[in-house]
Amino acid sequence: MPRGEYLLEVLSEEIPARMLEPGVRELATRVFEELMARGLGPREVETGFTPRRLVLILSGLPEAEPDREEQVMGPPVRAAYTPDGKPTAALLGFAKRTGLEPEQLSRVETEKGEYLSATRKIEGRPVAEVLAGIVPRVLAGIAWAKMMRWGNGEGPWVRPVHGVVSLLDGQVVPFDLYGIAAGDRTVGHPTLSPASFAVAGVEDYKRQLAERAIEVRPAERRSALYAAMTARAEALGGRLVEDAQLLDKLTAICEIPGVMEGGFGEAFLELPAEVLTTSLRDHQSALTVVAGNGDGEGRLLPHFLTVMDRPDDPSGRARSGNEWVVAARLADARFFYGEDRKAGLAHRAAQLDRLAFQERLGSYAAKAERLAELAGVICDQLGWQDEKADAVAAARLLKVDLATEMVKEFTSLQGIMGGIYAREEGHPEAVWQAVYDQYMPASSEDRIPRGRAGMVAGLADRIDTLAGIFGLGLIPTGSKDPFGLRRAAQAVVRIALEGGLPLDLDGVVVAAAGLYGDRLKRGAEQILEDLRPFLDDRVRYVLGLGGYAYDEIEAALAVGGGGLPDLKARVDALHKVRGEAAFLSVVLAAKRIANIVKDAPERTLDESALVEPAEKELAAAYRGLRSEVEEAAAAGDYERCLRRIADLAPVLDRFFVDVMVMVDDENLRNNRVALLQAIGRTVSRTARLSEVVVDRAEARAKAGAA
Amino acid sequence: MQTFQELILKLSEFWARQGCALQQPLDLEVGAGTMHPDTFLRVLGPEPWRVAYVQPSRRPADGRYGDNPFRLGKHHQFQVVLKPSPLDVKDLYVKSLEAIGLDLTQHDLRFEEDNWEAPTLGAWGVGWQVMLDGMEITQFTYFQQAGGLELKPISAEITYGLERLTMFLSLSQSIYEIQWVEGLDYGQVRKQEEYELSKYYFEVADVAFLQSQFEGFEREAGRCLEAGLVLPAYECALKCSHMFNVMDARGAVSVTERVGLMKRVRDLAVGCARAYVESREQQGFPLLGPAAKTQETEVADAAR
Repeated sequence: MPRGEYLLEVLSEEIPARMLEPGVRELATRVFEELMARGLGPREVETGFTPRRLVLILSGLPEAEPDREEQVMGPPVRAAYTPDGKPTAALLGFAKRTGLEPEQLSRVETEKGEYLSATRKIEGRPVAEVLAGIVPRVLAGIAWAKMMRWGNGEGPWVRPVHGVVSLLDGQVVPFDLYGIAAGDRTVGHPTLSPASFAVAGVEDYKRQLAERAIEVRPAERRSALYAAMTARAEALGGRLVEDAQLLDKLTAICEIPGVMEGGFGEAFLELPAEVLTTSLRDHQSALTVVAGNGDGEGRLLPHFLTVMDRPDDPSGRARSGNEWVVAARLADARFFYGEDRKAGLAHRAAQLDRLAFQERLGSYAAKAERLAELAGVICDQLGWQDEKADAVAAARLLKVDLATEMVKEFTSLQGIMGGIYAREEGHPEAVWQAVYDQYMPASSEDRIPRGRAGMVAGLADRIDTLAGIFGLGLIPTGSKDPFGLRRAAQAVVRIALEGGLPLDLDGVVVAAAGLYGDRLKRGAEQILEDLRPFLDDRVRYVLGLGGYAYDEIEAALAVGGGGLPDLKARVDALHKVRGEAAFLSVVLAAKRIANIVKDAPERTLDESALVEPAEKELAAAYRGLRSEVEEAAAAGDYERCLRRIADLAPVLDRFFVDVMVMVDDENLRNNRVALLQAIGRTVSRTARLSEVVVDRAEARAKAGAA
Repeated sequence: MQTFQELILKLSEFWARQGCALQQPLDLEVGAGTMHPDTFLRVLGPEPWRVAYVQPSRRPADGRYGDNPFRLGKHHQFQVVLKPSPLDVKDLYVKSLEAIGLDLTQHDLRFEEDNWEAPTLGAWGVGWQVMLDGMEITQFTYFQQAGGLELKPISAEITYGLERLTMFLSLSQSIYEIQWVEGLDYGQVRKQEEYELSKYYFEVADVAFLQSQFEGFEREAGRCLEAGLVLPAYECALKCSHMFNVMDARGAVSVTERVGLMKRVRDLAVGCARAYVESREQQGFPLLGPAAKTQETEVADAAR
């Protein structure tokens, strides 16, 4: 009795860690989709990988594709019979082609008249045959992040292929992948169990790998590593410093999850913890251990934990090797640390003119000058005179660490290292923290810089970059963003929003562009034309993460001015009142107003010329409303603003019932348009309400209930 | 305890058995074994090739006056090229580690992604850094492009860092302590040289002279190419590359100059690569077997 179990294992040379998970996911998804499309959906799909293996296990596969019927169109009926009703050659030929008797043919009505047709039964192919077609095609089509060729030009694939196990219920499903025939043999671990062996099926495969301590399920390897590392850290009297990303990498670079524990000399603990952690992580893919409860909690201990692709280390060579490398690396780091401190930041600053910021935008020395100016501009705008000196000093120091030996070695320490050196040189706290925090927020989880000087320096850096690169016309498109401008723009948005900075971004961008002198290809206006929508996109993204609906964001964005904190206050107010019944009818009215005044030129209202009671009533209500709305808006109380506008709902509704705007009398018409234009402006003081999406049924229901 | 030269001898013997021609180092200053014409030029075109050699490799900016126990301005690479890359090239590499005395059942051996790119050679490849017990001991690369040309067949390049490997095998605390031959350590052979070279590259080298050398060799490379002399042209290009590296270490290359100088070196390398392929074609690709040759000619004819 066939169980419908399919085992696929591709053996290759070591696949890069970062590509394994996406690769195996693409393989599984595409095979699954293709099978589903043929009515061959499996009951279960399992995947796995190690650096050398991609594994796909399908179970509960049907035996064969379902049989299906296919309709084949033949000649028109009028050409199928002679005038005396005898079958023509066309009919007989068609019957012969389809393998049917003439009387088995049927007739179908089409647009072009009646035609003969034949219904053929097509027997579904066995699942093995289908797999033999699909699997090699999907494998060859995986979109690896980087591909290569080998030998006489085989490929392209991620790495050379060495073997394929392809078994359906123990029977080989044959195909060929870059000259390698699929079969039933695989190999063990390359140094510990290198001999090849035959596999009988899924269960046998799992059992034989387990005998060799090989674990193909990454989640299992990950939890085994994590548990062992946590236990080791505890045994060392400390606690593991968790690093999920690194643990993922360690999971992907071994097939036997062995934990490698090592130590380093206590003397290295003089190095800043950031340096130790970074050196261990970047060079040795190692996690660190900190002291647990009690004395010096959180202090680094002289131990590290990483992975080895073997269960144990009988001769101690793996450990002594790792420790030797770590000692060499840390000695190097200590050398850099010493050199940098000896040289001092002032000396490093003098070397910035040799570091290119961007080929056409000059050196980091020039950038430092611009940043100092720009930080001043931002402080002036915000009225931060007390913070100005620190912000400017920080901006000038910001990029100096790029010239330090430590950052040349560990680029991920940029900013942090400058902050540490500035602290050691006795710069004020606000200054060194601003330097230290300059790359914050680095991700959506990360926080913004701590102090005001930090926020200003962080903004100056990003806005300088954005203005410069946009000024060269190098605007990111699609997934291409080599200068990380999206992240820079997002940081600007988040600092302004979360720092509550009422910044005139356009003004800062104009100043930033001006500081480039004649280096840019485009003027400030041209830059803003592209940069505004680019920044707005980031605003949409950031506010979207904050839980606001896209139409709330669009409505608020459509009303310019006021800076990002103001924008956020308006989005927030809209978010809170949008569900209220009275507010919904104002939204509907706003949409009507927007429609009516859409193409009309600006008109002036003459209240004395209003005729109908409903329009007089509306004008009166509006008169009372306007100053109140302005007042609430000026106080930043946009919720009151919107609620007050909602009071207009019944009057507006009556107006639209009783009054016809588009009358023939031109004066009357223009005056009514003028009234609506004025109301439209006030109603949209917080957000362009016509952008708010309303479920009309819901609006009616709420209006009825109210 | 393994000496520096024992390592060279064992690697040479192992790769000689795999049919590699044991070549000698290029007698010019280069930054890596890859720049030796027996790698850079031989990987081009359809002809098969297997070679192994030691290449002293100069990285002026890495010099540390002989003070840093882990860094050198001039180190030695053991370079192997197998063209086309055989399917068992990784197995061969692992066997070479056994041949130098490693019992791999006692070590942790891993291959971590590390792709290679040399913009000044118009070259890139895909491969790994080979990690033995957490130490990078070899750079393993499948060349994909050189001199701006797509490669077919593909060459595998294996580069062992000899000092580091010797140091690691003996867990020495300093490069200068490793034994060159029993009774003579690396420092006794090379420390003064490291000091003097560092001093020269960082403090003494005459920038104006280097600049004029760069320009002179660049012109000469062009003249050689015009005369159809690929190898002398390539040697001039290597000279330019070295002059650039020294000027860079000397701190004499500004931001804007840097890009321009690198492009000039790249143009020379690309020009030599193209000229080399043409020259080999004119010679009828002498290293191709007769069968392959017919096929190549057919392909070339079809292309025309």
